[in-house]
Amino acid sequence: MSIYDILDTLWGIVDTTGIPTFGWKYLVMWVVGGGFMYLAIAKKYEPLLLLPIGFGIFIVNFPLVPLMGHSHGHDQLLQIFYHYGLEWEVIPCVIFLGLGAMTDFGPLIANPKALLIGAGAQLGVFITFTGTVIAGFTLKEAASVSIIGGADGPTTVYLTQHLAPQLLGPNALAAYSYMAMVPLLQPPIIRLLTTKKERLIKMRQLRPVSQTEKIFFPIVAVTIIALLVPSVIPLLGMFMFGNLMKESGVVERLTGTAEGALMNIVTIFLGLSVGATMHAEKFLTWKPLLIFGLGLVDFAVCTVGGILTAKIMNFFIKTKINPIIGAAGVSAVPMAARVCQTEGQKYDPSNNLLMHALGPNLAGVIGSAAAAGMFISMFD
Amino acid sequence: MKLAKIMKTMFAVVALLTVYSTPLLAEDFLGLPVVPGSEVVDRAETHLDMKTAMSHDEVVDFYNEVLKDFKDIKALDRDDNTQITDHSNLKWHSITVSKEKLEGKTTVVIKKDSWSWIFGTLILRYIGVFAVIMMLFICMSITGAVISRSINRLEAKKAAAGSGTQEQEMVAVALAAAKDSERRKS
Repeated sequence: MSIYDILDTLWGIVDTTGIPTFGWKYLVMWVVGGGFMYLAIAKKYEPLLLLPIGFGIFIVNFPLVPLMGHSHGHDQLLQIFYHYGLEWEVIPCVIFLGLGAMTDFGPLIANPKALLIGAGAQLGVFITFTGTVIAGFTLKEAASVSIIGGADGPTTVYLTQHLAPQLLGPNALAAYSYMAMVPLLQPPIIRLLTTKKERLIKMRQLRPVSQTEKIFFPIVAVTIIALLVPSVIPLLGMFMFGNLMKESGVVERLTGTAEGALMNIVTIFLGLSVGATMHAEKFLTWKPLLIFGLGLVDFAVCTVGGILTAKIMNFFIKTKINPIIGAAGVSAVPMAARVCQTEGQKYDPSNNLLMHALGPNLAGVIGSAAAAGMFISMFD
Repeated sequence: MKLAKIMKTMFAVVALLTVYSTPLLAEDFLGLPVVPGSEVVDRAETHLDMKTAMSHDEVVDFYNEVLKDFKDIKALDRDDNTQITDHSNLKWHSITVSKEKLEGKTTVVIKKDSWSWIFGTLILRYIGVFAVIMMLFICMSITGAVISRSINRLEAKKAAAGSGTQEQEMVAVALAAAKDSERRKS
């Protein structure tokens, strides 16, 4: 073996490593991925999602890694998760099944007026749509970006995959980031829009809800939603089915699987797949940065919409609502409701708003899915 | 040699003129070609109305061919017309091709992309979210009232059955009804 052969072999080995094609963009993405892992591990912000998303971003941003492409005629590992989980719109629906199995609709059934707050909180979704179009996005892209304000991860993923799959990574990341940052983002808006007198309003205790009512609720909800916005039935149908399993009490094993093992499995696939879409070449452009900015405005306007709806309702109803619970009209269950509880107790430690805030919180899930349905019907 | 140079220059000038004048000669509206052989009825900044002897299907095929390379184009087949809509950022918003011929001619209307359409559709859809939620609210209230009333009655009947007389049973049912109406008022 000559010296040239040895050098040639060595160069061949070096060429198969990622070193010759490594660039600064990968480093930037490591910082982005690392940032999300830091938020998840050190700050405990939505760790179930931000940790796999952060690691997904990190692991795909190496040159030549066989994760999100195709080789030997088949998809690579994360591409398989992405293709069957997200492109086929399976994961968001299965997550909704698990969420339904975890949810108690009692507070919403006891106070159905809370539904209106959930609808009012969609204000930001429609306002941001306009801003996004002005920023140069297409109408479909604008719809997918504007749903971020609804602070509902699975709905954002579902709608984005349906209308603008090229924006899936940034949209999902923005939605989950802002959901994680609810405790930081919402309190200043609440304080800005409510007076001290309003914050001190004590709400009457909610009536007890019978098991029969809880069993009927998912069936009634599916009937109305399937008739009026059929395009979101894959999401809300699964949500209500999960809830029916829970409330019926006859399929405890299935309920346990849906809210436990199944939910955990799809959460891993969702996080990794979303993170894996954030390759440096796609992410380091003006669009994702703009999406993060627009998403923040969107989320703030949705919070404003919820609070204002609660304040407007107070003009027409005898028993006043504490407008703080309007902030829970964005989904982010149950984090937004907890923020309302904390804010309320800052002014009156005996004021328990948690159960009252859960009503608008759950209404926000239905409201944002209805808004997504309105957008899908606009384009399909 | 000189003649050859002059000839070359003239050829270049004619070629350039031909290339740059072609788009000017081809009649279009907001980047969309006008149906060949059509008669323009009304042309304004926001819309173009035209009539053509071509059939509805021929006009739709013509625009489908023109727009085949564009993404986000949606064609909606209605009872009396076909509407081709752009959902990207093109200058035009819609092409409406009538199905019925007026005086033996098909009417084609091209509309400019406008903020009024975007605002209009957004407001209507936001109201739509409220409509969905209101329907759910009404159905939940009715179901809730019916279920709690029947539960109260059942409980009252059970209580009365435990105590015995028909009179007591009637009193228990009346009490349950009063309790139910109080609950609804609150």
